[in-house]
Amino acid sequence: MRTGEIAIKDRKVALFNLGFAYSAFLIGTLCGLLQVFIRNDALKLPEWLDYYQILTAHGLLLAIVFTTFFIFAFFQAGMSRTLGAFGPKVRLWNWIGFAVTALGTLLVVVMVVAGQASVLYTFYAPLQAHGLFYVGLALFVIGTWIQGFSLVGHYAVWRRHHKGELSPLFAFMAVATIILWVIACLGVVATVLFQFIPWAFGWTNGINVELSRSLFWYFGHPLVYFWLLPAYMAWYVIVPKIIGGKVFSDSLARLSFVLFILFSIPVGFHHQLTEPGISSFWKFLQTVLTFMVIIPSLITAFSMFATFEIRGRELGGRGLFGWIRKLPWRDVRFTSIFIAMAFFIPGGAGGIINASFQMNEVIHNTLWVVGHFHITVGTPVAMTFFGLTFWLIPNLTGRRFTKSLQKLAFLQIATWSIGMLLMSTAQHLLGLLGAPRRTAYTGYAHDDALAWFDGLLTNHVTMAVGGSILFLSAALLIFIVIQLWWLAPKADEETYEAFPIAESDSSMTPRFLENWKIWIGIAFLLIALAYTIPLSEIIQHAPPGSGRFQTW
Amino acid sequence: MKKSGPSQPSLKGTLISVMAVGAVIVVMWVCIYLLYIVRM
Repeated sequence: MRTGEIAIKDRKVALFNLGFAYSAFLIGTLCGLLQVFIRNDALKLPEWLDYYQILTAHGLLLAIVFTTFFIFAFFQAGMSRTLGAFGPKVRLWNWIGFAVTALGTLLVVVMVVAGQASVLYTFYAPLQAHGLFYVGLALFVIGTWIQGFSLVGHYAVWRRHHKGELSPLFAFMAVATIILWVIACLGVVATVLFQFIPWAFGWTNGINVELSRSLFWYFGHPLVYFWLLPAYMAWYVIVPKIIGGKVFSDSLARLSFVLFILFSIPVGFHHQLTEPGISSFWKFLQTVLTFMVIIPSLITAFSMFATFEIRGRELGGRGLFGWIRKLPWRDVRFTSIFIAMAFFIPGGAGGIINASFQMNEVIHNTLWVVGHFHITVGTPVAMTFFGLTFWLIPNLTGRRFTKSLQKLAFLQIATWSIGMLLMSTAQHLLGLLGAPRRTAYTGYAHDDALAWFDGLLTNHVTMAVGGSILFLSAALLIFIVIQLWWLAPKADEETYEAFPIAESDSSMTPRFLENWKIWIGIAFLLIALAYTIPLSEIIQHAPPGSGRFQTW
Repeated sequence: MKKSGPSQPSLKGTLISVMAVGAVIVVMWVCIYLLYIVRM
């Protein structure tokens, strides 16, 4: 087998996950295109289609389905690449997990298309969808757990055969992300199984709204890191190889992932800062914990710059910033991810603002928030995934990422960047002017609302222009994906796209960083500290359960 | 304890770059903070 090649049987499950991811991506981005035109009053949907239906589909298909299926494809390919081919049991359970995840997704999509679940991707109670929508969500999570546990099983087998050794960095990071995902999902599983399903099927009369929202955000914030960590994996492990360098520090990379397990979960209240049912003390405590999670992101920023500078200087870069010019800017696998990283600087800064307790009032429920997650998950994460796609699909299909496809890929990332810059800047600024998120066209005859259609950047039209460019970019990406999958010429020995994994020197890495018992233990301790008392208060002092609302 | 061995690579550019990232965070935060104060 060629270097960087993955066992043929393992490729298939990764490819199926990728296929699902990109199908969701196409439909999800199309929904986004419709939305910007509706918000701009340039489009009226037919009677049988509702704005909130496509908004729900957009959020679910892109933020949940595209990301999750892509992440598992990346993990499956990378774990097979770094730890060796899957055994028959691991492979079988990966397939079963994929099938359950896919079944859950289809159920959710059918319910949304049928107009039975226009509850947006946060599915806040007391909005009530059809019971099968929640069953679909539960199946989705169970499917990801099966895939996750089977990958952890593969890792456990490797560790049994390599006693006393640290695992390869890719596998370590994938396992850390799966641990984070499993712990995070406990909240959403609890609310879906014990609150939403009984309520939606009429077995209980009311629902404790504040509890359901708190359990959702217990899941909803680490969900953000479930998207981000695989992107960080690409930054730490893949990018250094692409530029011809090494991982800057194996210990620092592992430490940052461990810190994410600890600090990304007990922080959900920073999404609920304006809610009256939680006392200020607990909001404040979780705000402090939220600020702790900035540390591993700054560690990552430092590691990336250091990786680039060391490599740039090796290539002859002189002076303070001469190394930047030496980086391989003509390699779209690198440039795409570099731009993704750059978008995360204002994205992360915006996140700090959002979580700053009272300051949240400035931006809460405004378009700012929409702008924020388009320059976090919508670009740093999504464009990193594009950058991975350019070599991952050829790696799995044995085709060539030809020169002409590379040019198209540059066009794709350029259009995505320009479209996103226009759309998200407009969204941030409109949010500061009070334009709400979530709502369809808001034609209030009020000076404040009329101002949302004035100005160059503070304008819904700018947002629509950006959104249109983004959709063109998405269509171009789908074209590239189809080419790489079925139509590009077959690669030979020389042109084969290897799975790039950078060398990481773990000889000085402390062994305790891979002692998961310690980190899972501390994570649960922090979760208990941040959540036990406020959740018990929410349960004890609950008003009568709310009845169902279906506003569509 | 001083380590002998190959000289460490220069990371001055990295230092300035991370400071610039920090500056972006501070400037954006202060802008919104001032907006919050003005609107109170």
